[in-house]
Amino acid sequence: MEYAASIFILIGLFVILAASFNLILGYSGLMSIAHPIFFGLGAYTSSLSVMYFHIPVIAGILLGIIVAFLFSIALSLPALRISGDYLVIASMGFQLGVLQIIRNLDWTGGAGGVTGITPLFDEIARTSVLSYVALVFVAAAATVALVAWIVTGDYGKAIAAMRDDEDAFKALGRNAVTMKIVLFGIGSACAGFAGGLYAHYFLFISPDQFDLLYSAGILTMVVVGGMGTIMGPVVGAVLLQVMPQALSFLRLPAAITGPTQGIMFTGLVLIFLFLKPNGVLGKAPPRKTDDGDDDDLASVNTSPVVGKR
Amino acid sequence: MYDLTLYTQIVWTSLANSSYQVLFTVAFALVLKVLGVWNFAQPALMAASFYCMYAAIDTFGLPPLIAMGIALVFTGVFAYAIETYAFTALRNRNAGPIGFFIFTIVASQFVIYVLTLIFTAEPRFLLGNMTSALHIVFGVYVTSWDIAAIITTCILIAVLYFFLHYTRPGQFMIAVADNAELAETYGISKQRYYAMAMVIAGFLINTAIFLLGSKIAFYPELSLHMMLFAVAATIIGGIGNVFGAGIAAVVIVVMQQMSVLFIGSRWQPLFVFVILFATILFFPKGVRFRGS
Repeated sequence: MEYAASIFILIGLFVILAASFNLILGYSGLMSIAHPIFFGLGAYTSSLSVMYFHIPVIAGILLGIIVAFLFSIALSLPALRISGDYLVIASMGFQLGVLQIIRNLDWTGGAGGVTGITPLFDEIARTSVLSYVALVFVAAAATVALVAWIVTGDYGKAIAAMRDDEDAFKALGRNAVTMKIVLFGIGSACAGFAGGLYAHYFLFISPDQFDLLYSAGILTMVVVGGMGTIMGPVVGAVLLQVMPQALSFLRLPAAITGPTQGIMFTGLVLIFLFLKPNGVLGKAPPRKTDDGDDDDLASVNTSPVVGKR
Repeated sequence: MYDLTLYTQIVWTSLANSSYQVLFTVAFALVLKVLGVWNFAQPALMAASFYCMYAAIDTFGLPPLIAMGIALVFTGVFAYAIETYAFTALRNRNAGPIGFFIFTIVASQFVIYVLTLIFTAEPRFLLGNMTSALHIVFGVYVTSWDIAAIITTCILIAVLYFFLHYTRPGQFMIAVADNAELAETYGISKQRYYAMAMVIAGFLINTAIFLLGSKIAFYPELSLHMMLFAVAATIIGGIGNVFGAGIAAVVIVVMQQMSVLFIGSRWQPLFVFVILFATILFFPKGVRFRGS
């Protein structure tokens, strides 16, 4: 029962991570691999603030969201004023640097991690587990709804314009850098929220859980599900949380299971990148009609992976 | 407390240890200059090169130099395949920077996972004997490895410089780097020189990995962490300045080693990240000297 609940909770948390990362990568066109570290910052901030300052867990989770948001601004502001390429470099350095700091500090638990985290619900009982599953599912639905609300409507069109042709966007007097920073901040704050929920259910966190290689998992969910679609990351998160469970039935040693899961994730991304770049839910670009009608081309899915033809 | 001999020792050891970093950085910078791609697939080449050598030595019992030669061919072919089958496909599809970014990052992680599955995450030494002859020169400890590493790196960089500036293929490669479409109008095949740049990068990486593997134990994920150094040095040296990136690599290593005099050794790895952020903040186009 608790095992099944853990799977559902992980699915919900990864829906939050994938949907928020889709806002950053798929909709905004921002290249970043630091999403796991904002997940980690939320988890560490929440758990340590509750542990040391004895604040309510809800307050700790809120603090985790704020810290993740502020750090994302600090990261994106200097990088994005130069170019988007610098964001991926800065995000990589930021992730490795923060993890190095966490590993070397005693009050963060060091490399061993933080144990004995205060649970969100006082008792670990059947009802509290089910309540947590419901809470995470509601949070996941809220995150997807938030992303949908942001990317649809006039603001969503502005985001698409910024992503597809930043020079033209700027020529119209719009501030692309501010928009990117805000979107990056919102996506990272959602990751911080997921981190808080994660920490106060599983009650243990360590730096290895937020390492660079976890970026592959989140990226896989977005790419496989369909970058730039609202429900794509949801499909990707569900698919890629269920698939590893099939491996667990083989009862392979941990030294084989871990790399095998990684090969599955990354292999899927590579396959989808070249064979179905728009993902499971992404639409294939319509073909130009023989009479040269360009109307269909106006609705081409401008997935960042497939350029305009 | 500190004397000249100590400082000299640190500088000498730094210069020797910067040898493989210089080669990694120059390889990364060359691909960026010619192909215009941030080659985050370099860790895949690094890891594949190491384990090819390791398998040749450990499993088949081949001499190290033969193993290095086999890995040289393997890495060159791997680099050629990345350009021919992946980068070209992405270019033909007009994929934006995100497409290249996703592919290179994920390809690196895919290769690292495969190598972890085959060889495990346990650190491995390339050579059975990791020690080298030690000499004391004016109170400074100098190993044979230090001398070989520095000489090898200097020769390779000199050869690359000569190739790029004094040979026809090298000049064509620079022409493609400056303006690929214009170069094609003059009959220079950009595809050919993209592939050539990747293969040259593969050769540099292979040599660097041999130097690295004969010095420290290697594990699959190490290549990902080392790539960040190459990225930082490339930015500091000036994007498009291949040899400037190499010089930046030397400077960063020396500064990082010298930092042990002021900060604890456990904080040394953070040095590169601090340099990286400082560079993005203050020198995003690289460090420029007056008159350059």
